[in-house]
Amino acid sequence: MKRFVSRAILFHERYFHFIILLPSLIIIIILTLYPLINVLYLSFYHYSYITGTKYYVGLANFIRIFNDRYFLKGLENTLNFSIFATFFELLAGFGLALLFNIRFRGKKYLLPVVILPMMLSTMVICATWRAMYHYEYGIINYIFRYLGIGDGVKWLMDRNIAMWSVIMVDIWQLTPFAFLIILAGLQSIPDELHEAARVDGAGAAQVFRHITLPLLKPHILMVVLLRTIDTLKIFDKVYALTGGGPGTATVTMSYYIYREGFTYFNLGRASAASVIMFVVVAIVSSLYIGYVIRGQARG
Amino acid sequence: MKMLVKLVLVVVLVAGLAIFTGAGVAHGEKVKLVIVGRDGPYGEGMQLAVDTYMAENPNVEIELLKLPWAGLREKVVIDFREAIGAYDLVVFDDPWATEFMSVGWLEDLEALGLSLDPDFVDKAVAVGRYPYPDGKIYALPHVGNVELFAYRKDLFEKHGIPHPPETWAHVLGAAAIIDAKEPDIHGIVFRGIKGNPILGGFLPIFWSFGAKVLDVEKRETLVYSPEALAALEFFLNLKKYAPVGVEIYDSSELKETLLAGDVAMAIEIWPAWVPDLDNPEKSKVVDKVEIIAAPGLIDKPAPIIGIWLLGIPVASKNKPAALDFLQFVTSARIQKLMCMETGLPPTRESLYKDSEIVGRYRWYPKQLEALKASRPRPRVVEWGEIEPKFGDYIHLALVGELTPEEALKEVHAEIAEILGR
Repeated sequence: MKRFVSRAILFHERYFHFIILLPSLIIIIILTLYPLINVLYLSFYHYSYITGTKYYVGLANFIRIFNDRYFLKGLENTLNFSIFATFFELLAGFGLALLFNIRFRGKKYLLPVVILPMMLSTMVICATWRAMYHYEYGIINYIFRYLGIGDGVKWLMDRNIAMWSVIMVDIWQLTPFAFLIILAGLQSIPDELHEAARVDGAGAAQVFRHITLPLLKPHILMVVLLRTIDTLKIFDKVYALTGGGPGTATVTMSYYIYREGFTYFNLGRASAASVIMFVVVAIVSSLYIGYVIRGQARG
Repeated sequence: MKMLVKLVLVVVLVAGLAIFTGAGVAHGEKVKLVIVGRDGPYGEGMQLAVDTYMAENPNVEIELLKLPWAGLREKVVIDFREAIGAYDLVVFDDPWATEFMSVGWLEDLEALGLSLDPDFVDKAVAVGRYPYPDGKIYALPHVGNVELFAYRKDLFEKHGIPHPPETWAHVLGAAAIIDAKEPDIHGIVFRGIKGNPILGGFLPIFWSFGAKVLDVEKRETLVYSPEALAALEFFLNLKKYAPVGVEIYDSSELKETLLAGDVAMAIEIWPAWVPDLDNPEKSKVVDKVEIIAAPGLIDKPAPIIGIWLLGIPVASKNKPAALDFLQFVTSARIQKLMCMETGLPPTRESLYKDSEIVGRYRWYPKQLEALKASRPRPRVVEWGEIEPKFGDYIHLALVGELTPEEALKEVHAEIAEILGR
């Protein structure tokens, strides 16, 4: 009996945490792992969802995708969108966080206004911006014309400007996300550190460079990681603002997958494109995560 | 005693289950139909029919889902493919018809008890048949859309341009004259957005130049040809006289510019878009716009037929009630009501000759002519994939990302690949 009890205790100690984790593990397998494996499997098939035709094609989907101008342009646009949107959101969020970290009158009224865009529906935002970007009737061009600055900008019509217009909407909506994380970081830095540095004769710039910035590094990396992952998946704003046009100017990887999957119902090719997108996001994310872990290990 | 208690419990349990699963639905209880269709004017028209039907048939409750064009196709395809049976009636665009009918997603309406009224315009009924044009009827024509051409008669007369324009060459010439002489008016407008919309304006030109997208019998693409190249180059020439940003124009922008009097010609309008053309509250061009069948060139005029069809999914759970509503909504009485109240063009010949309707929409006799002379998009299963791809490449040529030759060559290869699978 004693032996049995001691074995039971041993089993409990060794495996209890696995048993506790089991429900979550099952959910993750069903919701994440199974679709992932299924997508990988389908990527080697031609699968027309409409006719139900399905046959093995090996790497043909991947070869076809890497010769498809829409996909290649989508890959380029996605990377551009991700880099520029993340960079400017971080920059603007940092600036706002520094501003809100000092005391000024009306701060508590201004704060909700600053974070408001993040709380709005993307579709509502896009409909509003689409109206504002309108070449003839949009308010932005109206102001430009009123001030005598040119004849108006083709915000969503010009192939060289359209992607910047989409990036601008993303910056407007999601800068508050970067702002909130960095503000939280700023407020977690003890005042004593700044005071000690100042007592030692450090100027404002030195305090910022040697105290504030290093201590904010984890928060900055967090913003960069989360915004990079999110922007690599950009779909909704492209869909609602430009439909991927004009031409291929704003086609992104997600938009390409959507077209293959839900317009052409070509699930094999959509799956292959999804696998490529997964690999791109995984590589970028693991680079960041590896960098953060190495940074933490160094202390 | 214990046995008796067990028996009572089993009876209670079975009765409870029967109530919950609806097995005990009595006769005369309400039937619920779910219809999925379009938003905008199409949705308004259908809503009117639904409200009228429910007022006359209190035992039927109808839920109408109004969706945009792309969303409608996605939802319907997924419902059909998975045999979910969420919808009892489906409104769909005729380019999707071959796809839906050939894979067996729709009910044969005559087998369900439909008797076809000869009043329907033949060409409108034909697109709901599989095989086209005289196979079984899987859908009835609900909205009699046919592509038309609109021009400002007053501007043509002001500048001494003969009208109506009979060929595309006349159209180009008139666009150049009006664009040059009228500072606030553009010569022409069309939908330039990629995918299906741009083809609305381009296909009639393409066909009238003698070009063809497919040889349906041989399942071959013919899209890269000298005729196609000439048509595309001509189309790009028209862009010179179009408003800034025509590359991203869709139906709403086209309608806005036409009603605001900002354009002299629209190479593509659909009757359901412009019921307010002569309504002084919404239009600045009352009685100034003439509507005709699209011009020809080498070949005869070839307006595209764009019927909205109504079919019953195989997975529907209320087929008799659905058929009854389908016959109601396509009846002459309800089509006239929808036409007069919401501007939806009918699919019955008698209504195009109805004096009350013609008094309201003066272009209807010409619309009937266009409907009878119309041409459907190629009836192949893969058209749902071919059409947006074709449109994408014509758009790439329109925005200057590809030369006309490159665009046609690339789309030729794409279509060949689709047909070769």
